[in-house]
Amino acid sequence: MSVHVRPTAAPQNIAQPGRGALTISGMRKSYAINGEQRLVLDGIDLAVRPGEFVSIVGASGCGKSTLLRLIVGLEDDYAGEIRLDGERVVTTSLDRGIVFQDHRLFPWMTLEENIELALLNTNVPKTRRAQIVAEHIALVNLTGFEKAYPHQLSGGMAQRAAIARALVTEPKLLLLDEPLGALDALTRVHVQAELQRIWMAQRSTMIMVTHDVEEALYLGDRVIVMAPNPGRIRRIVDVDLPHPRDRASPLLHRLKDEILAELTAAPSEANLVRFPVRES
Amino acid sequence: MSAASSPKSVRIAVGLLAPVLLLAWWQLQATAGDARSLAFAPLGSVGAAFVEQVESGALVFDAVATLSRSLFGLIIGGGIGIALGVATGLSRPLDRLLGPLLHGVRQVPLMGWLPLLGLWIGAGEGSQLVIVCLSAFFPAMLNTHAGVANVETRLLEVGRIYGFTPLQRFRRILLPAAMPMILTGLTQALAFTWIAAIGTEILLGTGGGLGVTLQNAQMQQRMDLILVTILVTAVIGFAVNQLFLALRHHLLRWQPKSL
Repeated sequence: MSVHVRPTAAPQNIAQPGRGALTISGMRKSYAINGEQRLVLDGIDLAVRPGEFVSIVGASGCGKSTLLRLIVGLEDDYAGEIRLDGERVVTTSLDRGIVFQDHRLFPWMTLEENIELALLNTNVPKTRRAQIVAEHIALVNLTGFEKAYPHQLSGGMAQRAAIARALVTEPKLLLLDEPLGALDALTRVHVQAELQRIWMAQRSTMIMVTHDVEEALYLGDRVIVMAPNPGRIRRIVDVDLPHPRDRASPLLHRLKDEILAELTAAPSEANLVRFPVRES
Repeated sequence: MSAASSPKSVRIAVGLLAPVLLLAWWQLQATAGDARSLAFAPLGSVGAAFVEQVESGALVFDAVATLSRSLFGLIIGGGIGIALGVATGLSRPLDRLLGPLLHGVRQVPLMGWLPLLGLWIGAGEGSQLVIVCLSAFFPAMLNTHAGVANVETRLLEVGRIYGFTPLQRFRRILLPAAMPMILTGLTQALAFTWIAAIGTEILLGTGGGLGVTLQNAQMQQRMDLILVTILVTAVIGFAVNQLFLALRHHLLRWQPKSL
């Protein structure tokens, strides 16, 4: 798979040479379902600063995961622009990493083999790879489990391993697609804290999709609230609190109530599902 | 399973119980007098026939002849089957092109090819080997095809994320993901080549082998020799299968134990 790099002719909104500045402008995406075009994302405009942590919340079906799949390059064929540091996103690239809801470790490889495979096509010298892998295993607190196969790890451990695999290539931008969605409440809180620590240490740009408003606020510098049918940005909430954060902070609780109210409010006329009118 | 937790010696003893009872029943029939002693050779003479076969070298010769035919079929027929299974599993157009032909050919029973092969290349070693190869080909191909065609998209996407080349994708995702199915196909192929080798030996009776000895023993009415050969066939087949299961267990050590 080749990585297409198209230089930008005209400077975009944020085309700084910085690491991990993402700009999305006028982006639309539709799928053909049973021969009918169905718009899943419409008019997405977003600028993410280098090193920023952005959370995205929204009802199921609002296109959150599609948005991440587009940014990471697993889906192309969209209208508008997605640019990372000025380069238009065309296909996957080692600059953009992703952690899925399921860990997606290869069951036939040990933990360290799984992480090392991310380095396969990087220019990291072979002699340094083992050390870098060991460092990242330590970063997610899995030292001692290097030789374990995925089925021998708990859900939380496997998800942390997936995070290590995504980080080992040092992507400019890390996308997290409900990475903690499948974990139990207690493990979740623990991995959230760990994720915050990792982000503070790495300071790469991160965008996380989640169902959990509390999680979105605890980690995000900004929280993007999306609306469904078609998916679009309804509101962007600034979370003006330094990291590491205290879950008990009154600001977080106030914002949580606000966002929840917004998400559960009765849909306005414009947000109602519009069924195609058929003439009989 | 409680049997899995009991010590190995107990498990082996339990597994031997039924065969020993069967042999005891056989011996009873053989020594009962009347007409039955003609149909059942006493175990003493079976043992003597075994010693005779070992000392003359016939047993080792037969076993090696049949085993090498099986192995030849497994390697050549199974190898071509795996290659074609991978190719049709990866390429939809190739699958559409060859699928109907292969599934049609599969309906012909193995021994159904003998008359055609007999006219083409004679009823000798060549025909035997073609049949044995064919017996390994289909299970290897069908299982490999299913394994390769059903690799999960979620794992293939990981390869895309990390910029895998087609070769990396094949070696690090497709092949290991399909390995359980490939090995299932080879396990079936192994059993089929053993059956096909002995079957063609009985039918064609050339080149030596356990099947040839069975056929000759019937003509000479050597009940003891028939029984020795059947026992040897069963024991070798069982041992080879166990060996293969151990290999499979090692290759798939990454799978959870419950699978």
